[in-house]
Amino acid sequence: MNAIEAKGLGKWYRKQGVGLPTLVGALPRWLRGGQTDGFWALQDINFSIRQGQTVGVIGPNGSGKSSLLGLIAQTMVPTEGTVRTTGRISALLELGAGFHSDLSGRENIFLNAAILGIPREDIRRRFDHIVDFAELREFIDMPVKHYSSGMYVRLAFSVAVEMNPDILLIDEVLAVGDMSFQMKCLDRIRRFQKKGKTILFVSHALETVEEFCNDVLLIHEGRLIMQGNPSDVIFTYLKQYMVRIGMLNVEEHGTREIEMRSIRLLDETGAETATFNTGSAMTIEIGYHARRRIEKPVFGFNIKTGNGFYVFGSNTQIAKIPIAAVEGAGRVRLRIAPLTLKQGRFFLSLAVHSWDHVTQYHRQEDLHPFMIKDVSDDKGVFQLNCVWEHQPTP
Amino acid sequence: MAQIITDITHHGDLIWNLVARDLKIRYRGSVLGLLWTILNPLFMAVIYIVFLRLLVGRGIANEDIIIGVFAWQFTMQCVNSGMNCVTGNASLVKKVYFPRIILPLAVNLSALINFLLTLVVQWVLVAILLMMKGTFLDTATLWVPLMSLYHLLFNFSLALLVAAANVYFRDTQHIVNLLMSAWFFMSPVMYPLSLVETVARAHPWIGTWITHVYLLNPMTVIITGYRAMQLPGVAFPWTAASVAGLLAPLVILLIAYIVFQRAQRYFSDLL
Repeated sequence: MNAIEAKGLGKWYRKQGVGLPTLVGALPRWLRGGQTDGFWALQDINFSIRQGQTVGVIGPNGSGKSSLLGLIAQTMVPTEGTVRTTGRISALLELGAGFHSDLSGRENIFLNAAILGIPREDIRRRFDHIVDFAELREFIDMPVKHYSSGMYVRLAFSVAVEMNPDILLIDEVLAVGDMSFQMKCLDRIRRFQKKGKTILFVSHALETVEEFCNDVLLIHEGRLIMQGNPSDVIFTYLKQYMVRIGMLNVEEHGTREIEMRSIRLLDETGAETATFNTGSAMTIEIGYHARRRIEKPVFGFNIKTGNGFYVFGSNTQIAKIPIAAVEGAGRVRLRIAPLTLKQGRFFLSLAVHSWDHVTQYHRQEDLHPFMIKDVSDDKGVFQLNCVWEHQPTP
Repeated sequence: MAQIITDITHHGDLIWNLVARDLKIRYRGSVLGLLWTILNPLFMAVIYIVFLRLLVGRGIANEDIIIGVFAWQFTMQCVNSGMNCVTGNASLVKKVYFPRIILPLAVNLSALINFLLTLVVQWVLVAILLMMKGTFLDTATLWVPLMSLYHLLFNFSLALLVAAANVYFRDTQHIVNLLMSAWFFMSPVMYPLSLVETVARAHPWIGTWITHVYLLNPMTVIITGYRAMQLPGVAFPWTAASVAGLLAPLVILLIAYIVFQRAQRYFSDLL
């Protein structure tokens, strides 16, 4: 059974001037006969989500993700098309919306619960549990304006997870709180999943989306680009959109006497992907084309983290694998095994240049994003090979 | 209209919580707390009484002014809190679905509770003033709480209109402020209806027409109604115009409800 079904869904917004709407601004519009310019925040969206699925919604900022959630939550009215939902919907709020700073934590719990539609009885019964989950026992009668932002978020989330909706909408709220609280939150979401709830999950945390979702929607400029299994959609997103819309500081230059025409990132089975597990093997395959015969070219690569930290770099010269000469089409393979990077997003740069580094034939800076998923419980940036030993003193 | 009933009954919990929030917040952190509910209209009444004495001399009874000012303050509070009830809860309106009409309803209900509290003080004051003149509160005073429910209906319809208008045009608050001060003088707040009738009698050719129009103002009939119920010697002027004035709030409420329900569809787009 479908929990959410969108047919030809579209949302049009009037382009509003800077500042608040005023009569003076509206009058000329009326005089012109209601002709206003606007834009489609979402257009021609068709999808259906089966009950019990966890669906991620990804896309660049301003692509229409939040509008989509608004339409599903019925806080917004579609301009065209319909969205049909089955069951009770709750949105995990932008944490703390509906909190009042002058009220105590206790009062806010009840107020927030009423807003979220949680019966007062349930809250009263579970009150102690909520307070414990939020770790706010000794501060519960203090006005929330004196709370730290972390305390605020914990309180809000603790109330929100008491909801018992059929469909849960989560809009980028999990990026808050410290590590241990985030773990608790994700744990709650897993419990929602186990209970067979339908979850719609907007996030930029692609690793979390990949981990939690059965299905991912990719939205760009108000259009549904793709719906499918998480790794495929995330792959497309990273590969096509992040690069194309200039979210990355990418650069491509060179004389193109040797041109890298096809770049493929392959996993252990030889399938193209953008997500790799820590400890698995990664193969980078470069298909090149040399316009003329070039002696001793050097192929190189480096890997950086999302915030520009240079993780590793090498080339065929350093590795002492000289290539005598290239002409026409060919292929270079680089195998990294085991991949010791841990959780996160990384960017691969590739280059081919002359032996003396004077001529850059072709460079691709940060052009190839990929993701690492960590399956172990170890912490850190790299996986180090560790062996523990214990010897009690005799 | 049936929709509004189900909206309210299904969200009783939320309404009650919002009313409680409103009441708690209003006086939290202030030393005198709830006492301000009573001090506020009282202080206004004293100002009007003193200045009217200075300006006009004797002639307007203090109890007329007290009843008028307390009733006017009720309407003012409903309109002002109604104005900001949607815009002030923007994050909520954008994120959670619930019938939007709950927002103005909650702030008006809390204003009603406030008003009922002030009524007690008002009765004590008026009774003392009457006793000094050798009379007592009229027995019809018992109808005043019922009258205030009707008064609330009118206030609520105004709140619906300004709440919706303020989302679309932020000019609303300034315009409403102007209109309210003009309306204050056009309603018998600090003078009794009889004063208007006296003036009308002095200008016979236009006078009756003026009285008719004057009675169409719901605030005229509501305030005069309060006075007629409580003060001996004040009669409610039962004319076609005053009955129309009494029924007008029902029509206005219907219009306001329709306007609000249409407008609320686009609240989250505009906030």
